[in-house]
Order: sequence, then structure tokens, then C-alpha cells
Amino acid sequence: MNFEVLIASSIDGLTLGFVFGLMAMGLTLIFGVMKVINLGHGPFIVMGMFAVLVLSQNLGINPYVALPIVIVLGLVTGIVTYFVAVHRVINAPELTTLLATFSVNMMLIGALTILFTTSPRGLSLELPSFRAGTITVLGTRVVAVLIASLVTGALYAFLYRTHTGKSIRAVANNRAAAELMGINSSWILALSFGIGTVLAMVAGSLLATLFGFTVLSGGGLETKSFVIVVLGGLGNPTGALLGGIIIGLLESITTIFMPVSYVPVFEFVVFILILLFRPNGILGAR
Amino acid sequence: MATLEIKNVESGYGQVQILWGVSLKLQPGKLTSLVGSNGAGKTTLLRTVMGLLPAMQGSVHFDSRDVTKLSPHDKAQMGLVLVPEGRQLFTDMTVQENLEMGATPGSARGEYKKNLEWVFELLPRLKERRAQVSGTLSGGEQQMLAIARGLMGKPKILMFDELSLGLSPLLVLNLFEVIRKLKAEGYTMLLVEQNVQMALAVSDYAYVMANGRIETEGEAKQVREMESVRKAYLGL
Ligand SMILES: Nc1ncnc2c1ncn2[C@@H]1O[C@H](COP(=O)(O)OP(=O)(O)O)[C@@H](O)[C@H]1O
Ligand SMILES: [Mg+2]
Repeated sequence: MNFEVLIASSIDGLTLGFVFGLMAMGLTLIFGVMKVINLGHGPFIVMGMFAVLVLSQNLGINPYVALPIVIVLGLVTGIVTYFVAVHRVINAPELTTLLATFSVNMMLIGALTILFTTSPRGLSLELPSFRAGTITVLGTRVVAVLIASLVTGALYAFLYRTHTGKSIRAVANNRAAAELMGINSSWILALSFGIGTVLAMVAGSLLATLFGFTVLSGGGLETKSFVIVVLGGLGNPTGALLGGIIIGLLESITTIFMPVSYVPVFEFVVFILILLFRPNGILGAR
Repeated sequence: MATLEIKNVESGYGQVQILWGVSLKLQPGKLTSLVGSNGAGKTTLLRTVMGLLPAMQGSVHFDSRDVTKLSPHDKAQMGLVLVPEGRQLFTDMTVQENLEMGATPGSARGEYKKNLEWVFELLPRLKERRAQVSGTLSGGEQQMLAIARGLMGKPKILMFDELSLGLSPLLVLNLFEVIRKLKAEGYTMLLVEQNVQMALAVSDYAYVMANGRIETEGEAKQVREMESVRKAYLGL
């Protein structure tokens, strides 16, 4: 086998893995704080893709410069979604929150299809590539890794250094006790849902700088997020990043040997193996 | 100094009513205790007062303001603080982070540093453990942290649910000493205890609860001498 192909694929997988990790962090944060599995995750990723598309193609803003706008959009979208669809069922059994977020999924996909149709889209973005010998790394990949790392770092600084961030961890840990301390837990849950949505949308925007996409791209990415989240341990953001990198690497290396269409099969084999042997994730207790 | 008045409160869980017309008043600057055997409804009353459970009937007044329908966080922001049964710490967070969370109320934020020094003085053990994850503390240390966390919120009224439960006699003595100090500082407090002897010994006023009703009330000294109380709770 060609050694250089392996190296190139590994770099590809690693860079993609950071973005996958960011994407899965959105899902795992929401689960960790409120024990809700957000089935609207896929459409949120797609909203990030289309937000950056509209901002760059229709309004002429550079996709990277558009990211702060995507962040604000994500925060608002997530908070509104929480109060409209999730808050009233937050204490109901899991099936109810699954159904609630599934309706969000259906409505968003419907609305996005009306607005944008399901035809393929792509950003036109030219960045210089990095070359070493015969190996080339695209500039968009490098920037995606930088931004994903930056956002992850910012998330951790927020959760561990600020009073509001610590309040999120407190609510995740013991919601009733947090209320007794004077923490408005409904607001904290809404904010957490907003941050989870931001992570999904920013990951979507970054993916849009790497690949073509459609309104329906969210489905596959959502299942990929689930695999990553389970791999990293439910509710564990560090685990999600690590899981994202592992899935990114697995994906790009397996495609050297197999057709791309086998990738989901491979991912779900990994998923099942983890559920069987490490149900709390690679970082979790056995 | 603050007062709390509970008027004819009825409450329970779903269809099951536990409290039947409970009335209770905390006098400003006084230590009041609520005693009664396991399952009498003491915790249910505290949960209803804080708004963790809705009151079916009756009302709760804080400084003569009706706060019955307010959420727990609004009450905590006003200075009504409960140190809950079973401690309910943020077990994944450090001692210091727990104390920071206790200092969430607007009035407590600005005085965080000063209050932190004060609770570390009152409970020096916590200072040594400030960087430790609270779930790994011993039972006694956890109870100290629960008290300290409550104190960080600049309470006007402090309520303690089963401070002494599951702790060694020496630790219980230590914690009651802390309560005595807080009383000397003028706090209005409610002490809910199964340890009837200890509670009556430090309190000014006492209520005895049984089967979701207030059975007896009076000056703690008098309640201690009552024949029914001596037989049922003091084993005399
Ligand atoms: N979450 C709950 N759901 C239903 N019943 C409860 C619940 N918690 C307590 N109870 C019942 O309420 C009654 C009073 O309990 P509690 O208020 O905890 O008593 P105490 O604090 O005086 O020991 C008990 O009969 C108990 O079984
Ligand atoms: Mg109790």
C-alpha cells in the first residue's frame, strides 16, 4: 500500500474529525444538561450550512467573517426552540422529548426545503493550500481545525471560568439544588439548548466550507453525531471531540480500502461494538 | 430582621395529600425548630415553602409579602435559603465552585470574597478542601459545605433540613455549635430535626409535627417538659 496515501488520508480524517467533534459536542451538551436527545440536531447543522451560504453568496460576506452572525442566529434559534418545543415537556418521559424534538426536525426540514429546495449547493471559497512533498492540505481544512479548536476552547472557558457557565454545570448536576441557590434553571436550560444549537450550526458552516451539501445533509450527520457522542460518552464534551477525531480518522482511512458507501455500515459496526463493550464511552467508567 | 409565616398550608405529591392545614411562624432573630418522627411531613413542608412543591391550599408570607406562588430561585434571590435534606451538593463540582453557586443571588455577588472568608473562618475544614470535588468529601464535610453554600447566598432566613442525619455525635456537636454562632449573629432560622433532644436544647421556640399536622407548639423549654413529647420523642 502507498504510504503517502495513508498519511494524506489521516490528515484529512484528523482535520475533519475536529469539525465532527464540534458538531457532536452540541448534541452531547444538550443531553448532558437536560437529558434530552435532540432529534433537531441534523436540521440545525443544515441551518448552519445555509446561513453561511446566504450570508456569503447573497450578502457578499466572507464565510469566516459570517461566523459570528451564525453564532448569534444559533443562540436565538436554540433558545426559541427550547421555549416553544422543549420547555413544556422537560419533565415528561424521554419519549415525549424525543417526539417534541422530532417535530422540530420535520418542521425545519420542511421549511428549509420550501426556501432552498433540495438541490445541491456549495460555497465558492478559494484558500491557498499547504504542501509538503507530495502531500497537500487544503487551506479550508486548516482554518476549519483552527476555528473548531477555538470554539471548543471558548466553550470550556465559559463552562469553567464564568458564573453563568458554572451555573450550567450546576443545573446539569442537580437542577433542584440549583434553583435553591437562586439559579433560574429554566433560563439556564434554554441557554444550554442555545449553545448546543450554536455548536451544531457552526459545525455546519465549517462543513459547508469543505463539502457540497443539500437541505437533506443533516440526516447522515445527525446519525454520525450519535455515534460520536456514544463513543465519547453521553454528556461528555471532551469525549465528543475525541470521538469526532476517531470517527474522522476511521472514515478517511477506510475509504482507502472500501467504497465510500460502506462508511455508514462501518460506523454502525463501531457503534454496536461500543454499546457492547464500553457502553459509557471510551472515556467513561466501564 | 426577617419573618416567615406559613398559613394553613396543604400539600402533597400528586393525588396524595401529606400536609393538612399547617401553620408556623418564624420570629425575627429567633431559632425555631420543627421536630417529629420520620415521615411526619417536615421535608414536604420545607419543599412547599420553597416552591419545589406547589401548595394546594394556604399561603407563605416572607416579610409580610405573599410569596406562595414564587419559584424557588425567586425566593432564594430574596434571601429565603434552604439547606436541603441529603445535602444536594453539586457533586461534580469543587468545594469552591459549590460556594460560588451559593453566592448566585444578586445581593450576594458583590460580597462574595468577604463571605467566602467568613464561611472559611466558621468552617475551616472547607478551606483546606476548597479545590476538592465535593462528591469525594466525607459525610461531615459534605454537610459543612451544604451549610456554607447556603450562607454564601446572604440569607435573611435560613432553614436546615436534617443537619445531623447520619453524622457521628462529635460532628453533630460541631454543627450545632455553628448553629449557635449563627444565632448569635442574629439569623432567623428554622431547624428541622429528628434529633429532637438536640434541636430543643438550642431552640427558642418549637413545633412538633405528626401525620402532616402541627401537634404541639410552644417555647422550646416548655415543649421539652411536656409529657407527650418526652414519651414520644425523647424516650423518657
Ligand atoms: N416524592 C414523594 N412522592 C410521594 N410521597 C412522598 C414523597 N416524598 C415523601 N413522601 C411521603 O410523604 C410523607 C412525608 O414525608 P417527609 O415530608 O419526607 O417526612 P419527614 O421529612 O418528616 O421525614 C411520607 O409518608 C412519605 O412517604
Ligand atoms: Mg425529612
